[in-house]
Amino acid sequence: MRRAAALAGALWLVAAWPAAAELRVLASTTDLKSLVEAVGGGDVMVDSLVPAGADAEAFEPKLSDLARLRAATLIVRVGLGYDAWVDRLIRQAGDTRFFRGGAADVDASVGIPLLEVVGRGLEAQQSGHAHGAANPHYWLDPANADTITAMIAAGIGRVAPALAARVAANRLRFLTALAARTRDWQTRLAPYEGAAVIAYHSSWPYFARRFRLNIVGVIEPKPGIAPSPAHLARLVAAARDVRPRAVLHEPFEPVETARLVATRTGAPLVVLAPSVGSVSGTGDYIALLEHNVAALARALASAE
Amino acid sequence: MIGTGEMVVLLALPFAACVVFIGVHAYLGIHVLRRQIIFADLALAQLSALGATVAFALGHPPTSLAGFAYTFGFTALGAVLLAMSRSLARRVGQEAFIGILYVVATALTVIVVDRLPQGAEHVKAMLVGSILTVEAADLEKFAVLYGALGGFLWLARRPIVALSETGAPAGGRAMVWDFLFYLSFGLAVTSSVAAAGVLLVFCFLIIPAVIGSLFAGRIAPQLAIGWVVGAVASALGLLGAFELDLPTGAALVVAFALALVFAGLVKYLAWGDAAERRAHRRRAARAVAGCAAALLLASSLWLMAAPEADQPLLDALEAVTGIGPMPFLSDGERTAFVDAVRDEQRYRAEVERLNRLEQASRYQGPALGADEVRRLASYMQSFNEMQRGERFVQATLRARARLRARWYVGVPLAILVLAAGALLLGVPGILLPRARTRLYSSG
Repeated sequence: MRRAAALAGALWLVAAWPAAAELRVLASTTDLKSLVEAVGGGDVMVDSLVPAGADAEAFEPKLSDLARLRAATLIVRVGLGYDAWVDRLIRQAGDTRFFRGGAADVDASVGIPLLEVVGRGLEAQQSGHAHGAANPHYWLDPANADTITAMIAAGIGRVAPALAARVAANRLRFLTALAARTRDWQTRLAPYEGAAVIAYHSSWPYFARRFRLNIVGVIEPKPGIAPSPAHLARLVAAARDVRPRAVLHEPFEPVETARLVATRTGAPLVVLAPSVGSVSGTGDYIALLEHNVAALARALASAE
Repeated sequence: MIGTGEMVVLLALPFAACVVFIGVHAYLGIHVLRRQIIFADLALAQLSALGATVAFALGHPPTSLAGFAYTFGFTALGAVLLAMSRSLARRVGQEAFIGILYVVATALTVIVVDRLPQGAEHVKAMLVGSILTVEAADLEKFAVLYGALGGFLWLARRPIVALSETGAPAGGRAMVWDFLFYLSFGLAVTSSVAAAGVLLVFCFLIIPAVIGSLFAGRIAPQLAIGWVVGAVASALGLLGAFELDLPTGAALVVAFALALVFAGLVKYLAWGDAAERRAHRRRAARAVAGCAAALLLASSLWLMAAPEADQPLLDALEAVTGIGPMPFLSDGERTAFVDAVRDEQRYRAEVERLNRLEQASRYQGPALGADEVRRLASYMQSFNEMQRGERFVQATLRARARLRARWYVGVPLAILVLAAGALLLGVPGILLPRARTRLYSSG
């Protein structure tokens, strides 16, 4: 009798174990962190490798990141060469769970309808461009959150099957709320359908597709290499015909060149957040998109 | 395309900024050369960058009074340390001390920057700067600051020149003048580094001064030459960046380097008395011929040793003449090569067409669904793979042609070079003038 009680107690402990002990997820960026939080609810503890406001493409992992990786149960990454440094970190940690295709690895880009495909990641990396197989800024289209959260939910299901049902319910709730917000955002930007904009860096094709914008030029085509004067002159000359109505700028990009283009084309400079937390008031995924839609709508309204 | 007007509008302010910077930097550079403290500017610039970074980390924007105070404070600290380094120089070289100052300041900057979210961008901006985006208001500020600095350096020219020329006189007075020199130096590089970046400021400082000292001994003519050459190099660098589609700062640095090479050639080949000039020209001709022969011989040997490795000279020859690997391919292979080149272009055009289609669909007509975008992406992926396949065909045929060219080109080229060398060595006076002198002296 006592032994049966002990056994029952042990079984109860085993069953309750995954829920009681928080699942530690390490996301490469704050955007993925926010989506993991939305899906995992109170059952997971999420941390992001790239701090809020930093440029993920220029990030260099520190020793403390290695410790964080070792303590994690699941890693979620952007993929497409955007956070290629995760691979180096995983190799250094030497933990086979996180290797590509391993149970504890989630590449959120799998299944995303990709834009600006250039080929396999390897060759694209050789061209010195941080973007790998395709443009990696896919989380900026809220419709892609469906695919991303599906990958995250599947990953959590692999490492903690007991959480699967709760995660699925959380995900459904989150996606329903997001769909309602997306309709609202689309309505607010609908008056500016087809508006021409110039971007500093090619971060916005997915956003532009969802909200029907026309990106007519990019100020810095190769990330990290200052644009040549000829490129800027071409951009400004082309702007005479298409009349851009905003210059999209991210907080960590050098502002001087964007300001120069804004002055020469007469389009206002809009600071958009490429990631959760890169601008104040963008604490989670929905707030990020809300900020970007609101800032853009304000700028486009003023430029009419 | 873009008109001249657009170019002038875009480049006028950067050029004016270059001229203002060179005005004071060329003079400071002359002193830097005489004192043999080439890297003092890097050390001071890095300390001022550290000051700006610390201010930024504490929440003061770079343009605010607090931001300036921090930057100035760190620069002044650097000036004190450099002024003190002169007394150290008797035991250890001053440059060693300056180098240590530079690396420590850089390391501290990296540590502070690591705490900032936009750190990496900040460090890169310090290195490269953005002279292209100088605004009219900036230029006014620079003109006032560098005017004041120029005035001070003019008034204080006697003690500062005396210190630069004589080395290390004892006494507190010398130390005070040294401090003032380094302080004005620090102020100059603080503002210019923020606008133009460390690399370009180093060029402004050193290259006009070096060119000036090639042709003159006194400070005034050195400065005049430095100013003229600096202004011309700046104009050529900016024009080159525009015409050749290059990043501005890097293009300017290369233009300054080319100016130095040109000045060196002029000095060597066309300066001094007639006999000297002739001797120099002969020696230069011999050096060029020798280098060309060595290059050709090395190339031919490399072709014979490793025909499938990179062959830079042969690649350049094939590209310039437009022949490609054709002479060493059979008819069938030639057709395959031409097809591969054509198909690669076709697939690339196809990818571009699909990309344009997708881009237009973002804002025109009915929006594409996720599956349609996926299909487009997979087409683009396939065409990219097919391009890679065509490139592989080309590379294989090229390698095959090289294997055949190995002996047909490599052996005759080597023999030709060796024969030409032997011929020239055999004719007295062309490669070995000393042989002739010996003949005369023995006769």
